[in-house]
Parts: sequence; C-alpha cells; structure tokens
Amino acid sequence: MIVRAALCPSPPLLALGVTGQTVVLPELRDACEAAVAWLLAAAPDAVTVIGPATATVAWPPDGVPDLSMHAPALGRPARPPAPAGAGSLNAATALPLSLAIGAHLLNAAGYLGPRVLQSVAESASPDACQDLGRDLAADAPLTALLVIGDGSARRSAAAPGYLDERAEPFDTVVEQAVRDGDLTALAALDPDLARDLLAAGRPAWQVMAGALAATAPVRPRTRILYSDAPFGVAYLVATLNPTP
Amino acid sequence: MDDVGAARSEPRPRRPPGPLRLGGREFPPERALVMAIVNRTPDSFYRPGVTWDEDAALERVHAIVAEGADLLDVGGVPAKPGPEVTVTEEIRRIVPFIERVRAAYPDLVISVDTWRHEPARAACEAGADLLNDTWSAWDPKVADVAAEFAVGLVCSHVGVALPRNRPHRAAFADVAADVLDRVLLLAGRALAAGVEADRIVIDPAHDFGKNTWHSLEVTGRLGELTATGWPVLMSASRKDFVGETLGVGVDDRLAGTLAATAVGAWLGARVFRAHDVAATRQALDMVASIKGERPPARATRGLA
Repeated sequence: MIVRAALCPSPPLLALGVTGQTVVLPELRDACEAAVAWLLAAAPDAVTVIGPATATVAWPPDGVPDLSMHAPALGRPARPPAPAGAGSLNAATALPLSLAIGAHLLNAAGYLGPRVLQSVAESASPDACQDLGRDLAADAPLTALLVIGDGSARRSAAAPGYLDERAEPFDTVVEQAVRDGDLTALAALDPDLARDLLAAGRPAWQVMAGALAATAPVRPRTRILYSDAPFGVAYLVATLNPTP
Repeated sequence: MDDVGAARSEPRPRRPPGPLRLGGREFPPERALVMAIVNRTPDSFYRPGVTWDEDAALERVHAIVAEGADLLDVGGVPAKPGPEVTVTEEIRRIVPFIERVRAAYPDLVISVDTWRHEPARAACEAGADLLNDTWSAWDPKVADVAAEFAVGLVCSHVGVALPRNRPHRAAFADVAADVLDRVLLLAGRALAAGVEADRIVIDPAHDFGKNTWHSLEVTGRLGELTATGWPVLMSASRKDFVGETLGVGVDDRLAGTLAATAVGAWLGARVFRAHDVAATRQALDMVASIKGERPPARATRGLA
C-alpha cells in the first residue's frame, strides 16, 4: 500500500552542475528536497519512482541518472562494473529524464533502500495509467511514491513551447486538484490537451491518482511546496498523505 | 523523423576536392568567408528592426560590402517563436530587397535564410545564389529548388526541433555524432536531387534544437565536421550559447563570438555568418596568418 506520495518536476536544471556556475532556482531545489525528505521520513519499505517516458517500462532499480545527454561536458557517471552474466545499463538504455531526476533526488537524500523505477508511456490513456497505479498500490510493501511530472511548457512567450493561453488555466486545474486531494479531477485530465500544452506530467499524475484511490477511500491530505513557471514550464512540488 | 539507423545505412558522401562555388564566384579552400546578416524582420534577436526599412537594409548592405563581406544572408523570418509569417509575407520581405541588392551588386553572393520552398524559389528567381536552410530540410523541396536553379544549399542539423521552436530538454547521446550523421544524410539527398557537389555547405546550426552545452561541444568538435571535406558554415554570432557561457546579454557578446569564431576557423570551418563583419574578418585573417595560410598585411619590424 502507498503510505506517502510526493510530486516533483523534472527539469534537467534541477541537477547541480547542469546550470553551470550559477545555482538556479534554489527555492525549487529546496522544495523538492523537503518533499523527498518528508517521503522518506515515513520509513517506507520501498520507494517507487513514477515518471513519463516513451514507454511503460520497469527500469533496473540500480539505474544511474546520467544527464550527460543534456550537458555533455559534465561527463558520464562512472558505473560500477556489472556482475558476471548480468545485463548492464549503457548509454543506449540510459534512464529517461523523469526517472533520472527521481533517482537523483533519492540519491541526494541519501536513500539506500529498495526502489522501483517505473516509467509510464507519454501516450498511455487515463484508464491505463490508473490501472498501473492500482497495480503498484496492490504490491505488498509499504511504499512511498515519488511522482515526477511537469505542467505545461507553454506558459509564456519565452517558454520553450512559446505561449498558449490555455496553459495557465490547465496548470491551475492541476494545482487545485492536488491541493484538494481531488484524485477524480486528476484522472479526468484530458490527455490530448495535456499533450498540446506539453504538460508531460499528465500520465504520471494519473498513475498516482489510481494508486492513491486504491489505497484509501478518502482524499489525501496535501501540501503545495512550490508552484510556479519561472522559465515558462510549470513546476509543481507537493506532498500527498493518504493515511487518515 | 529519420533515425540514426537510416542515416548510417545511406552512403556518407565524400566531397570532391576543389573550391566552393557560389554564384559566379569560386572560393578556394583556404579562404575563410564572412557571411553578413541582414534581417528583413521587425523582431530578430539582435538589434531588432534595424534593417526592417528597405532603404536602411540597403544602406547596411553598402556597409557590409565595404567591410569585406563575401556573402550576404537575407532572412525574412526570425528563428524564435512568434507571430506567424506567411509565405506571402516572407516573399514580400525578401524578394524586392534581393532584386535591389542584385542590381546594385551583380557579383555579391546572396544567400537567403529560408526553410520553405516557395520563398526559396522566389528568391532564386530574384537572383539568390545560396539557400541557407537552417531548419534541416523540414521542407525537402528546398533541395529541389536548389538543384533546379543550380544554386548552393546549406545542410543543417536541428535535432528534433521543428521550425521556430525552441529546444525543450534537448538530449543527445553524442551531439557531434548526431550532427555529422544528419548533415551528411542531407548532403547525400541534395546530391541525389541534383544539387552540385561544389555548392553544398554543411552547418551544425548552433543553438538550433541544442542547448548551450551542446553548442559548446559541437564547436569544440568542429574538426569532425571539417574533416569530411564539406565546407562548414558556422553561425554563432551573438547567440545565446555565447551569452550563457559568459553571462552576458546580446549586446555584449562580440568577444565571445570572436573567440568561438577563432576556434571554428582554427578547426577548419569555411563560412562564418556574422553581425559584426569587420571584426569577424579581422579574427579570420588573424587565424589564417597563424595557420600560415595568409601572409601578414605588412611586416617590417625586425626586418629592416
């Protein structure tokens, strides 16, 4: 069952070093740190990281975040030698960005316990996402969910996705749904609109909605730790507590 | 979108030795060329609108010719997102102007910065010599226009970016290899379409679908592109990768641009698209002399 859930975004700039000499958005980094610390304070048996990617895949739990695809000069991380006979994660199977950031946040928090790295396909339907969430919740140990997802990347003329007037209202709906613990509203997010608005987090939020709905019949108690779009991409950091 | 596998399975075309031919000019391999930017837009990123008025734009052409530019690059649509510029409007912005420039300068090599075949065609009819397609053959018919009019073509790399879209978390396992694969793929297609080999130019297209780290990496590894023998166009002038590297705004990027220019020239790039023509010409001449390919202008000190 899910004991706690936290939401974090996945801009590459969240990882130290990627922004070069200047530390950018320390308040976002602090919020993510606080959310993950709260997640781990429940002493879960395992942490499951959920994040969008091209396919729904359970990734090797020892996957090493590698941001060199975004910042080649930072170099590839040294990998421990693979045990004889085991497959190894190479550049061709690098963790998708969302899971890389999730793993990075857990590593930065010093988490050494069991972890699951689960990607959900960007194109997955709301029903498929919620089914995945239910399956994750049904798995036995006391699990904390680290849900990685971004709101719209079309929040301003300077945004990577330029400005779409529908973006801010969409992100407001998402934030309000999280604030209210309204899992039904998250499940109802329109995947086509989310895709048009480059809101990559949609499937991950819906996996979370399915997992939390299966865990407890009441709305989770939530806190918003960060909600802003300083670069035109909406970042939402929140904690969700399903236990009454 | 083509995948790397497709790129690798097509032959990687070799450039026969010889000059770069654009318009009626033949540029020998050792000669680094300055391509002067004149934007026919109200909203390009550097000094927006300064050449929006056609007379002002023509004055700018006089100036860059006097400063030693080898080519003129005329563009009607900014690279960044913004209000749509239709094909009709793009043609309106560039074609009458190209006609005026051609009339004033019969031998100046005129490049047109466009990614759509209709403005490309209209520009060629008006006398353009080179199609500078910075969006990596989003419109494959641009190569056909280049072949039909026997003009030059720039083969560029933009990763997964669509025209006038910013890179959003651009990621490459090896950006320099991705660039090489893409530009060679497009060079091969250009040849197959009938573009003449000595009129093809390749361009990594700094910052197009790439972040600052990627543009720096591509610059440092430009030798991998120049080693192909295809003339390399470097368009780094005052771009954001310079600004982010040095922490400076667009008006303060000349030094960084010239440093990148010198590195590119040292590594063998041939054409340099620039806002600051005289300064770029000096930087290129300095590098050429350091390489031993250009005698000093006048040396008497210690020689008397």
